Amino acid sequence: MMTGKESQNPVIVAGGGVAGLTAALDLAAAGRYVELVESAEHLGGRVSELDKIYPGDHCAFCPLWTDIRRVEDHENIRVRLTSRITAVERKPDSIRVTITTEPRYIDESLCVFCGRCREACAADAVRPSWEHASPPSFFIDKTGCTKCGDCVDQCPTGAIDIERPPVEIVLSADDIIWATGFEEVDLTPLPEFGYGTHPDIMTSLEFENWIAEAGVNQGRILRRSNGKEPRNIAFIQCAGARDRRLLPYCSGVCCMHALKQAQWIKRRAPEVGCTIFYTDLRTVGRDYFDYGLRSLRMTTGVDLVRGRPGMIRPLPGGDALALKYENTETQAVEIARFDVVILNGNLAPSQLLPGSEADSPVDLDSQGFVSAGRDGAAPFACGFSREPADIAESVLRASSSAVTLAGRKDGPEP
Amino acid sequence: MKNITVFLCTCFDEINRVVDYERLCSHLSDDPRVAAVTVSRGLCVSGGAGEIGASVKSGDGRVLIAACSPLARGDQVMRDLERAGVPAFRRHLVDLREGCAWIHGNNPAAATEKALDLLNMGLTALEYKEPSADVTLKIADEVLVIGAGPAGMAAATALARCGVDVRVLERGAQPGGMLGLVSRSYPDNTDPSEKIAAFRDLAASDPRITFHSKVKIISARGYAGNFTVRFTAEGEELQAHAGAVIIATGGRVFPPKGYYRYGEVREVVSQIELEARFRKGPVKKENAVFIQCVGARCEERPYCSTICCPASIKNAMRIMDENENARVWILHRDIMMPGTTLEAYYKKAMERGVRFIRYAESDPPRILGDEAVETVEVRDDITGDRRTIPADLVVLSTPLIAGTDAEAIGDLFGIQRDSYGFFREIYPLHPVETRIDGVYICGSARWPVSSEQAMVQGEAAAMKAAALVGRQTIRASEFSRVPGAKFGHARVNEDTCSGCGNCAAVCSFDAIRLQRRSGEGEFRMVSRVIKVRCKACGNCLSVCPNGSMQMPEMNTKALYGMVGKAFS
Ligand SMILES: Cc1cc2nc3c(=O)[nH]c(=O)nc-3n(C[C@H](O)[C@H](O)[C@H](O)COP(=O)(O)OP(=O)(O)OC[C@H]3O[C@@H](n4cnc5c(N)ncnc54)[C@H](O)[C@@H]3O)c2cc1C
Ligand SMILES: Cc1cc2nc3c(=O)[nH]c(=O)nc-3n(C[C@H](O)[C@H](O)[C@H](O)COP(=O)(O)OP(=O)(O)OC[C@H]3O[C@@H](n4cnc5c(N)ncnc54)[C@H](O)[C@@H]3O)c2cc1C
Ligand code: SF4
Ligand code: SF4
Ligand code: SF4
Ligand code: SF4
Repeated sequence: MMTGKESQNPVIVAGGGVAGLTAALDLAAAGRYVELVESAEHLGGRVSELDKIYPGDHCAFCPLWTDIRRVEDHENIRVRLTSRITAVERKPDSIRVTITTEPRYIDESLCVFCGRCREACAADAVRPSWEHASPPSFFIDKTGCTKCGDCVDQCPTGAIDIERPPVEIVLSADDIIWATGFEEVDLTPLPEFGYGTHPDIMTSLEFENWIAEAGVNQGRILRRSNGKEPRNIAFIQCAGARDRRLLPYCSGVCCMHALKQAQWIKRRAPEVGCTIFYTDLRTVGRDYFDYGLRSLRMTTGVDLVRGRPGMIRPLPGGDALALKYENTETQAVEIARFDVVILNGNLAPSQLLPGSEADSPVDLDSQGFVSAGRDGAAPFACGFSREPADIAESVLRASSSAVTLAGRKDGPEP
Repeated sequence: MKNITVFLCTCFDEINRVVDYERLCSHLSDDPRVAAVTVSRGLCVSGGAGEIGASVKSGDGRVLIAACSPLARGDQVMRDLERAGVPAFRRHLVDLREGCAWIHGNNPAAATEKALDLLNMGLTALEYKEPSADVTLKIADEVLVIGAGPAGMAAATALARCGVDVRVLERGAQPGGMLGLVSRSYPDNTDPSEKIAAFRDLAASDPRITFHSKVKIISARGYAGNFTVRFTAEGEELQAHAGAVIIATGGRVFPPKGYYRYGEVREVVSQIELEARFRKGPVKKENAVFIQCVGARCEERPYCSTICCPASIKNAMRIMDENENARVWILHRDIMMPGTTLEAYYKKAMERGVRFIRYAESDPPRILGDEAVETVEVRDDITGDRRTIPADLVVLSTPLIAGTDAEAIGDLFGIQRDSYGFFREIYPLHPVETRIDGVYICGSARWPVSSEQAMVQGEAAAMKAAALVGRQTIRASEFSRVPGAKFGHARVNEDTCSGCGNCAAVCSFDAIRLQRRSGEGEFRMVSRVIKVRCKACGNCLSVCPNGSMQMPEMNTKALYGMVGKAFS
């Protein structure tokens, strides 16, 4: 039997992406009680927004969904959606954690997804939480809701309450595992990439959603500017990353997802040209090199150019984009015309708590990654909040954090 | 038999505003199998599943639920029924909302016809569904860790901390694995012998850890919760009974024979040989050249071995530490230093003056010199220049490859290997789990990794093992990954089974054994399903030539009956 510190207090897992889901399932399987705190309307994190996933070309949805269901079904796990940790206070043998839950206005346990509220809403503020959520439910987007109340009367189950205030609870907890993942960093401070100057200059995550089979375009490869198929697409690697001006580290996943996206473009629209501008093509991980390079070069033909373009601008008239780069084969500076440019590399850890870093309950490194726990001990952090990590690394670190916590003899210190 | 209770949910008039519920009710009431029909407004929100469960619990009662899609709230109702004590063979769900009312909203008559068909199919299914017998297993409370490299050491340490008894089987005389051959460990340049000594001390002092060295594994059998492994340790034959097994047998280094005149000229060495030199004393070189991807990222081994770029960078800086005038070049195809720590380590090397030259796979460097290496010729892929570099040492970075025992270990435990011989995981969210529950993989046995990553994986495997052996008993059905699964386990009819073995051949979970039928002097092979391993995928039934293999909850009678109703 487990004889780790038998504690009545729950473990709090912050973030319900693949890392948080795994940490919660592991601890729950080991008999711990877990509060899973997720800021979004649904579990799954970034992976729930992905199209196919490397290196297996699976849809992200199925395996993720299975684990989400296991979490929702587990008697030792309580899921709190639209919630964040807003304060942490250390006590002698536990920590006091304040969790604030923003109202969704629609109680998902009552919503039968009939859609009458959505029809009633003139402001178009009623949204499905996630197309794959199980059970599916709607929520009300507060930024759009005019509080007219038209939806309330339509709901047959009485699920809607637009006056519901945020709820704050304070829990005694054993500890927190941080699994808050990543966010995209604004690229406008690096003017050479031209982000924001043209709709066809997109970040990788925007593009991933844009071309997803389960997304708005149902897998079609289109330009955001005019809805037509592009002639060619450029992927700019390390855009923002490995760059002292913005993110000095390597984001770890963008080489692979560029190779993935290029491959899927080629499968769905073979005529669209793809060029990847890279510094090093980092294909480190199980089957990554084979997935990324061999199949790509041999069967589909994607151009790889070593170099970081120095300028990306919309052409006059806005019909295409000009990209200036140095061709490393010829050492000549060349200008090429692309219809779409994808910027890869602007991934940074999410903020753990609202407020300043000084109040942080764990040590963060200069880039905001969780670097140490109390007394410099290994932090309970996993996934992208700990270090740039792909899915496999995220869940591995999650299980490792969970076992370390489960095996800890002493309680948290003041 | 009149034993089926039907619940028709209107979903707050979503269904019955299209589908004619009166017709459904009168049709159902006329069916001789139907005991009662109840119309409900919202089965999922009224919390009625508990009551339904209570009403059909006694006798042989069965429930037909006509509501929404399983992907909407249908599954939730089924799961509530499961909790209320109604097993899968006694319940059936029919989708009248998405499947009839919504999609045929413009054709109510057709929607009603379809609903009738679906209800008839459901009644027929319920008539024939049978239960799968579940089994409850005792779980042995010890965990076996095979291999005591960084992954195995970390797994054993984590398990002991969780209060789990762990037995470590190491082939060599000492723990440490490949890390024991390394002089200093990147990225913090620590002496790995400290880590290894710390584990040795822990293993000696912690009563939860039993460490066996010079181990040869003889046999392994069993399944999650109950593995029996026979082995010899220092010549003595022993047996272990474990609830879970963690395989941490590592890999080995690809020898650079046939590459870059290795073995022909002196001072062309492999990275691991350089590590051995450092362990003896200073290496002291003036001009050292490291060549990356030797036998890696090529046609035969199209993978990046993860550890070679950082290992070269580490040793390049070490050569510069020993001799401040030394010049060091790293000839590479890409510098693979992803993330924060490694990228910073790479920057540090650049700042220290390590020179990086990129070569193309199609135009690799050449080693020149008669007895010993004198120069290396390389074409710089970025500038296009051909350069000749003086060299008194050439270090070849070769990849990790699968261990010599990997095949034998894989076969013993029934786990799969990839085309390079590394153990295969449950992709993508369960990287230390294998198709055999209770058998976990970690470290370089799974895929080449640094010692730090190997330790993280060892801990991850320990987590899974600790959760399993932390329980005293488990039901075979709990190993199914989906909550509220519709099926239990495949079942063989031994009377009709011809012992052809088709089923065993297609089972991806190694859940079928051919065995001699016991009793009455029969000499006949029949197949047997190991319930803990069976995931109810149904592959076996589809290849059984005589219908002996069945999924009780959806057996041939139920299935054919439903198809018959659909087309009648
Ligand atoms: C374009 C793109 C494509 C990719 N493709 C792949 C791929 O094919 N294969 C692969 O292995 N990896 C891929 N990745 C990487 C993958 O997305 C990450 O490895 C993974 O999402 C990390 O999981 P996580 O759980 O650490 O974080 P996340 O997925 O970011 O999840 C974090 C969760 O925490 C929540 N959260 C954030 N802040 C808070 C807070 N303060 N309080 C509470 N909750 C919070 C978020 O809402 C989110 O649900 C891709 C990444 C990108 C950008
Ligand atoms: C040249 C070189 C330099 C490196 N430098 C570094 C570095 O600086 N930093 C770093 O982090 N990593 C480094 N590494 C990588 C590191 O050594 C490995 O990642 C790490 O050792 C892998 O750990 P492991 O436990 O998975 O496997 P291993 O270390 O290979 O250990 C496996 C163990 O299992 C045992 N075993 C195998 N088969 C059986 C069996 N059938 N029965 C019982 N026992 C068995 C073996 O004897 C061994 O003890 C380097 C690797 C190389 C090749
Ligand atoms: S009206 Fe009510 S039940 Fe229907 S979708 Fe809206 S919130 Fe859900
Ligand atoms: S993963 Fe590739 S693109 Fe991303 S920062 Fe690292 S090297 Fe650059
Ligand atoms: S149902 Fe699938 S897992 Fe079960 S015995 Fe048959 S083939 Fe194997
Ligand atoms: S396929 Fe059918 S007949 Fe053949 S061994 Fe399996 S159960 Fe028996």
